[in-house]
Amino acid sequence: MATTAPPKAKHDWADDDDIEETSSELPPPQTISNKDGTKTIITYRYNDQGQKVKTTRRVRYITQTETVNPRVAARKTWPKFGLSAKDPPGPAPDTTSVGENIIFRPSVSWRKDAKEEGADANAQAMKDKLKDKKVKCRICNGEHFTARCPYKDTMAPVGETTAAEAPAGLADDLGAAAGAAGAGKKGSYVPPALRGDRGAGERMGGSKYGERDDFATLRVTNVSEMAEEQELRDMFERFGRVTRVFLAKDRETGMAKGFAFISFADHSDAVTACQKMDGFGFKHLILRVEFAKKAQ
Amino acid sequence: MRPILLAGHERALTQIKYNLDGDLIFSVAKDQQICVWFSHNGERLGTYHGHVGAIWTVDVDPTSTYIASGSADNTIRMWEVKTGKCLKTWEFPTAVKRVEFNEDGTKLLGVTEKRMGYLSNIVVIDINPDITAEQTDERSLTIVCDESKATVAGWSQASKYIIAGHEDGSVSQYDAKTGELLDNVPIHELDKPIVDLQWSPDRTYFITACRDKTAKLISARDLATLKTYVADTPLNSATICPKKDFVILGGGQAAMEVTTTSGRQGRFEARFYHKIFEDEIGRVRGHFGPLNTVAADPTGRSYASGGEDGYVRVHHFDKSYFDFNYEVERERLNRSQ
Repeated sequence: MATTAPPKAKHDWADDDDIEETSSELPPPQTISNKDGTKTIITYRYNDQGQKVKTTRRVRYITQTETVNPRVAARKTWPKFGLSAKDPPGPAPDTTSVGENIIFRPSVSWRKDAKEEGADANAQAMKDKLKDKKVKCRICNGEHFTARCPYKDTMAPVGETTAAEAPAGLADDLGAAAGAAGAGKKGSYVPPALRGDRGAGERMGGSKYGERDDFATLRVTNVSEMAEEQELRDMFERFGRVTRVFLAKDRETGMAKGFAFISFADHSDAVTACQKMDGFGFKHLILRVEFAKKAQ
Repeated sequence: MRPILLAGHERALTQIKYNLDGDLIFSVAKDQQICVWFSHNGERLGTYHGHVGAIWTVDVDPTSTYIASGSADNTIRMWEVKTGKCLKTWEFPTAVKRVEFNEDGTKLLGVTEKRMGYLSNIVVIDINPDITAEQTDERSLTIVCDESKATVAGWSQASKYIIAGHEDGSVSQYDAKTGELLDNVPIHELDKPIVDLQWSPDRTYFITACRDKTAKLISARDLATLKTYVADTPLNSATICPKKDFVILGGGQAAMEVTTTSGRQGRFEARFYHKIFEDEIGRVRGHFGPLNTVAADPTGRSYASGGEDGYVRVHHFDKSYFDFNYEVERERLNRSQ
């Protein structure tokens, strides 16, 4: 382990291959001995893109003398056999690798340490934070949780009394505050549709469908293929002012697809139309009329 | 410490053995080949081919000239360490679950499986230490375990006793010369198999690992339980560290249950216990599956563990390992100086 670079590093299998293939074009590897006892090894090779790469490594050799049993020393010189017979000297990279460093420090209180380590991250920090905190009611400043306060139903929380007393725009203020708090407090993402600060249907506001009132729109199905928008308009006009008629048509054939939307200016007109026209026979088909569901 | 990963097996490891000098590691797995590695750098010296079944066990003789291996192909084979040549094959009616040489390498015991109407046997074969000589076919002793099958066995000091661990959690002491059953003690929980038995360096006591989540240190002479090490997981292997008063336990939940529980619960760690105080002093993680076998270097410098994941991890101990002492141990050291 202490030998930072064994001499065989120079004969790395990866380098060997490359040098053999391209030895005719690459400059030979250089080894320069430095004054401070280190060596600089410069090797050249081609990378995957065929570019010439110069690698300069500064290596310090540490000769570590180890006294081993002569039997052990003899065994180290044995030729390899079996599946390893063709392997060059030194550990083969396909069978031997070095794992990540493991810190192993025996300790008497190992179990206790490990437990603390595991809990430390959150529980201990929380405990420290709360060490000199006391339970305090937000309504009466008593030593109990706000939810348990005896004045819960009769008094507003201490800090909010001023807001509650403000006479004008009370509801709006609170609503806005709640909305802002809901979005801002947690810091988590709130989908636009669920954000309190705007109505659900207002997303398309400003576009040409801006004024559409889904509330008074009827969906008509089982409409004949031959139907025309004008025919539908004439039929529904009797119940009140129709603001829009939309008949779905096939883009290529120009035939009706069999459903339409009729928007009324007034909701009550739409209700009447829905009742009267549902089941009405129109061009050999029986219409089915219902209130359009809101687009999701 | 930086473990050396040895990826020479494609299937779960079954046993790892160091030779007496601690420079070679023999590993066997369910994939029909034996690997031998240099322990100092993890270089593979070679492989031994010939078995046609999962190899359950391996042992090396004290001079590191030959090894014996027992396999599910119902044979014990003897190999020359240096060349990988198979020297001898002994055939048995059932699989061989454990082999062990005695202290001087003149006798080899094998434990055979109970299966197909055959009872579990402990057989002893005399070994001719001359590598060129023809080995005998004869079994010098056969012990039939008719009550509960033997799972592990070994030789005590000076080959006086054969100690066997059984499937029902008991430990038996046999006379190594006559094969007579001298004693049988229910050491572990009833019907929890003893899965490993490893000796102290002098073979006067041994450690057993049991699926009942405990490992016990037992004296070979009277089968007295000296120490008990309680773990939180079923154990597959246990070994005694030379030089330091530690034991290493390896385990993890059964391999078939791994996929049904989270990895965190797996506890695929080698656990170090103090041999005398029975305290857990640390763990070494790294395996992806339960540890099937752990082995300590007889020179005390390293240990190796083999897991269900097919890897052998060789760990060379740091200074902190050797420096660790209990308060009382330190005091004793100070006094003696």
